[in-house]
Amino acid sequence: MAPESAAIRVDGLSKRFGDFTAVDSVSFEVPRGEVFGLLGPNGAGKTTLVRMLTTLLAPSQGRAWVAGHEVRGAQRRVRESIGVIPQALTSDLDLTGWENIDIYGEFYGVRRRERHARARRLLEMVGLAQRAGDLVATYSGGMRRRLEIARGLIHSPEVLFLDEPTSGLDPQSRRAVWDLLAQLRAENEITISLTTHYMDEAEHLCDRIAIVDDGRIIALDTPDGLKSQIAGADRIDLDVEGDVDAVVAMIEARPGVHGVQRTNAASLTVAIDDGAREIPRLVDAVETLGAQVVAVSVHRLSLEDVFIHFTGRTLREERARKVGFFVGPGMPQAR
Amino acid sequence: MRIWAVMRRDLLKLARNPLTLITVVLMPIVYLVIIGNSFAGQLRNLPVALVNGDSGVYGRRVVERLQALQAGPKTIVLTYFEDAERAVAATRNGLYKAAVVVPPDFSRDVTTGHEADIGLFLDNVDVVSARTLEGALDAAIASIRQEFVSARRPQLGVVMMRPVELFRTVDYDASLIPGVIVMALFMGSLTSGVFNWVMDRFLGVTEGYLVTPLARWEIAGGMLASGVAVTTIAATIVLFLGLLLTGTTFTGGVPALATIVAVMLLSATGLLAMTFLLLGRATHPRLVGVFAGFLNVVLFFPSGAIYPVESFPSWLGAFAAYNPETHAVYALKQILFKGANFAAVAGDLAFLAVFTGVMLVLASVTFKRTL
Repeated sequence: MAPESAAIRVDGLSKRFGDFTAVDSVSFEVPRGEVFGLLGPNGAGKTTLVRMLTTLLAPSQGRAWVAGHEVRGAQRRVRESIGVIPQALTSDLDLTGWENIDIYGEFYGVRRRERHARARRLLEMVGLAQRAGDLVATYSGGMRRRLEIARGLIHSPEVLFLDEPTSGLDPQSRRAVWDLLAQLRAENEITISLTTHYMDEAEHLCDRIAIVDDGRIIALDTPDGLKSQIAGADRIDLDVEGDVDAVVAMIEARPGVHGVQRTNAASLTVAIDDGAREIPRLVDAVETLGAQVVAVSVHRLSLEDVFIHFTGRTLREERARKVGFFVGPGMPQAR
Repeated sequence: MRIWAVMRRDLLKLARNPLTLITVVLMPIVYLVIIGNSFAGQLRNLPVALVNGDSGVYGRRVVERLQALQAGPKTIVLTYFEDAERAVAATRNGLYKAAVVVPPDFSRDVTTGHEADIGLFLDNVDVVSARTLEGALDAAIASIRQEFVSARRPQLGVVMMRPVELFRTVDYDASLIPGVIVMALFMGSLTSGVFNWVMDRFLGVTEGYLVTPLARWEIAGGMLASGVAVTTIAATIVLFLGLLLTGTTFTGGVPALATIVAVMLLSATGLLAMTFLLLGRATHPRLVGVFAGFLNVVLFFPSGAIYPVESFPSWLGAFAAYNPETHAVYALKQILFKGANFAAVAGDLAFLAVFTGVMLVLASVTFKRTL
């Protein structure tokens, strides 16, 4: 694909801060009209990647094009083509919702009449038409986020970047943001790049998902495609007391088992076919070894499991754990 | 115009925080009242311990002169002591600014033509009051000497000094008005402009507008322009409040006012550009606050607003010559009190224009459009 035809094209992009490599030689392409998800834990490098794509940070290496314009060199063109909703809330508290949107429209050089018409429509869309005249200081977090989504759309951008659009929001506000993005997609020809550390959000909204860890993309596919890369339709989660290493070895040897991962010192996730039927047998086998099953549950393969499969840890686990005292022999993440 | 949008955003935010603007106006006015009354031109009510050990006529005359000083210009407040040692000890303890001791044989020494001394024990740590007392007491006693001399010799060829005021009478507190206007310009410059930029950065708000097509010069220029507008308005309010408070009439009409506004606009632009140069990369608004306090002292006190620039030691005088506030204060003084016209302050305006130009160039070179 030529750089001009893709909404986003990234080619060997890296960002280093001193010795630390935040983004490590990342390449991918996003066709126009797609909702593209960057999924990864905090500190994976998602925000740094997005900041390079939105011209806030200069790449250390590699090239990237957004809406056909190179981020290094054609910054102004890129800025004119994108809408950005940063992770931090950036609307002005001392201004009204209307003023926030109107002034940003002016930043983009949108003519007054068009600006006002669009601001009215967008405020209607995000459900803030009634509150447009109030100071943003009186808005809730969810309202501010919705306002900023409207603000990011005032100039009809080709590509919309959202960095953690629902972090810190209550479930109801999250749902409202999701509906808004779904509606936006249905009604407009827009490419959306979304970073998140919420699995359900990525699964719900994205056409394709890139799993980001340690500054690299370690998997990239549709949600279903990602799941199909992993064997075993079900997952059994076990909390075990006793000789965990022996338990792991025993389970791995059983028929129908596609793998065992330790997510914690005493927690296992077993990739297995027909999990519900296998539970009683599995529990019996563990107890035969002299160990105890403290808790057990079974669920269908989810994106969370996909993430664990590729990164060796759950999304919510902090980086410190990986190198910290939970590391033991047989831990899959010890790469 | 994008730059207008930046300015509008800034001005709207300032308008929503009227307290900021009120502070910029009120604080220089409070300074005017406090400096006007604490430095107040002439010192008053200095406590002085007095011991008269002399029983003769000249000793009594010294006491009378000092009493006159107490009753008239109220320079001193006298406390009478019998014992010289106790009077000096009390002065040493800080109860009095000076002790005056008239020795027992003072009258005799005067009449016999011997050297007649009066003891003056000064609290010389308090430099300002010591100097004033020395001068005032010396003058009071000199008149006794003169009287004595004139009794023996007729005065011939005495040179008299008759002061002629070149300009209309200016009260001490009114003379501070140019200084407080400049202070308002300074404070306005540091509460708008670069402060808003650093605050936006601190709050992470910059991330919102750095991804828009706003150019570097549009961001800095818009913030600078709103700062100039707000600062000039604040300084104009301070000017008229100052005139009102000190009961000074404004003369010179529209040309004078226009020249004053020109001084204000130039100074505000120069100061704002300077703060962008110095603080444009600060990451915490606290740094702006700390710097503001420091800069205020460095620029305000050597500006001639309170003390005449000519009396500074040479190094400070050299600094004052390049201090924009010096030129602003001087120009404002000329226009407000000396009825000067535009031509008379053209040199100061030219300096301010050059200063402002240099600062604008340097600030625009160093200003970075980054997070």
